[in-house]
Amino acid sequence: MLIENLARLFSAIWGFVTPFALFHMAWSSLLGIIIGALPGLTATMGIALITTLTYKLPADLAILVLICVYVGAIYGGSRTAILINIPGTPANAATTLDGFPLAMQGLAGRAMGVATSGSVLGSLIGMIFLATIAPILGTYALKFQSFEFFWLAIFGIVISGHLTALEDPIKGWIAGFLGLLVSMVGQEGIHAYERFTYGTTELLGGFALIPAMVGAFGFAEVLSVMQSPPPKMAEAPRDSIFPKVADVLCYWRTIVRSGLIGTAIGIIPGVGEDIGAWVSYAAARRKSKEREKFGKGSIEGLMAAETGNNAVVPGAIIPALTLAIPGSAPAAVLLAAMFIHGLRPGPMIMVESPQFVYQVVAMVFFATLAILIYGVALSKILLKILAIPKTRLMPIVFVLCAIGSYAITNRTFDIWVMIGFGIAGYILRQMKYPMAPLVLGIILGDLMDKNLRRGLVLTDGDLTPFFTRPICLVLWLITFSSIVLSIDPLRHGLESLYHGLRSRIRPGRLKASR
Amino acid sequence: MARADFVTGWVLILLSLYVIVESWRMPRLEHLKVHPLSVPGIVPAFIGSVLLFFGIILVIRSIRRGGHRLGLTREGFRRIFDEPGNRRLLLTAFLCIGYAGFLIGTIPYWLATGLFVWVFIVLFERDRGTGFRVQKWRLVTAAILALISSGAVTLVFERLFLVTLP
Repeated sequence: MLIENLARLFSAIWGFVTPFALFHMAWSSLLGIIIGALPGLTATMGIALITTLTYKLPADLAILVLICVYVGAIYGGSRTAILINIPGTPANAATTLDGFPLAMQGLAGRAMGVATSGSVLGSLIGMIFLATIAPILGTYALKFQSFEFFWLAIFGIVISGHLTALEDPIKGWIAGFLGLLVSMVGQEGIHAYERFTYGTTELLGGFALIPAMVGAFGFAEVLSVMQSPPPKMAEAPRDSIFPKVADVLCYWRTIVRSGLIGTAIGIIPGVGEDIGAWVSYAAARRKSKEREKFGKGSIEGLMAAETGNNAVVPGAIIPALTLAIPGSAPAAVLLAAMFIHGLRPGPMIMVESPQFVYQVVAMVFFATLAILIYGVALSKILLKILAIPKTRLMPIVFVLCAIGSYAITNRTFDIWVMIGFGIAGYILRQMKYPMAPLVLGIILGDLMDKNLRRGLVLTDGDLTPFFTRPICLVLWLITFSSIVLSIDPLRHGLESLYHGLRSRIRPGRLKASR
Repeated sequence: MARADFVTGWVLILLSLYVIVESWRMPRLEHLKVHPLSVPGIVPAFIGSVLLFFGIILVIRSIRRGGHRLGLTREGFRRIFDEPGNRRLLLTAFLCIGYAGFLIGTIPYWLATGLFVWVFIVLFERDRGTGFRVQKWRLVTAAILALISSGAVTLVFERLFLVTLP
């Protein structure tokens, strides 16, 4: 089995060693790094926009392009985080904590080298888990029934909502359930009844995912960027940007730990790279012998953040491939792109096209190789691109948002969908509602809808299997405890109930002991 | 934020009530002998109920934090519109919606795109303090950028991706 899987992996890697594939890898990785480096352009927005440029490509090359953009964007954001203290993407927010102080100490080059080595190693650790866990999870997912899939959808929404809005989880859950509500629009999948369409033929298929994403991440981002004052100009680093082997050897424990944390966070539905970086950073700080350096220019802290966020990328692809449930917002767009290109990620992937799983592993491998090469070679060109004023970049980004939304089905209606989701996304973001659960909700709505109803029909309305099957039990317990422990009145109620029970039991025990 | 939460909470309550009522009104498909638990309205009603629960929590929480005192004044609105960032936001929204919602499909795509990019750059890079020469140069630069971007996007989508442009 292992030999067979290794053979598949090498065959997938060899399959991409063609001039055409290498050309696509080269431009898409570079574009990803540029997208990530430009403040305001996120990985999700980049993948959503580039998806519209891949319609005519064969499926494997299209996904290769998107994965290169994804890996590149998460890495590219570290440049701005280090040089101007502004995270290029939300995933690089933790990078600013130590990256910018290092740049202020005249060590911008070293910081960029650390970011490169951290990102490369994080991606590689995640890639190893993608190659090993995805086939196992894919085979295990075949045992899932409607009950498990229903809870998996709810679990994804609740956990994603909780972790992406730690200060106010209720907003994360609202965003997730709003996403589920959006997915209810259109013809439903069991009786073909048209829900919330009001006779509009354009809404029969529901809101198209790519225009909605382009709006929520593209147009909303354009509005946010134009509202904010122009960022500072970046200065070229004066020291070497080559990654140092000594840094890797010195902090190998941090690298492995952050890689594991990043991958694990990636696997949790809809959580994403930013949380991966923060959790890795916090863990590194807790375990570090140089804790006092954190926040003041710690190499270890920077290494942890950059390893953590890039390890999330392959981690987030694992549930997307095997369960059709994305691990992050960019992975959600990637999943949508896979469906557009006729691929069928989900529990059947290891039965129908096991080779594709290894092709994805190979894609991550090549994307990682590309960021290593660009990370070392292209620092000055990137600085010139960073100098492009937003007043010239944003209109072009919006032109791509509009034509990209239109080009999928040649409908001007989709341009309006993009505008609508853009405005809604901007307002929600201003009110601190995270976008990842919203996107996850839109993706998981259909899965939840079909499986809840199927499950209820199978059991003739009996809810017991939804709560007693082993996986369901674990999922609903985590889901409910996450909600109950986060809502103050419910938590207080539970606490008083617990204390009440305890005080009743204690006198009883006392009597018994006497 | 408490005031925003108060308003959002009410919007959520109204939206969820609407969703629940609409779900209730959806057909039960008895004539097709459909299982009563697989009817189309059951899941939207479930989602509506959860959103109603969260909406109520949001309203109660915001009232406790004093969010129900909205304190809407004309002066407050004026201050919002006077803020430079908000002005830039409104101008961006106006230009983007005008281009994507109304200009596309009304005039040829390349012209609409070129015009949008040019107007966007000119309006955001205008500087009253600078002389005519500098201003003229900016207009020309914006025109060159508009021509290049409009031409490139039109060519790529029309010729390479064979998209019938609006």
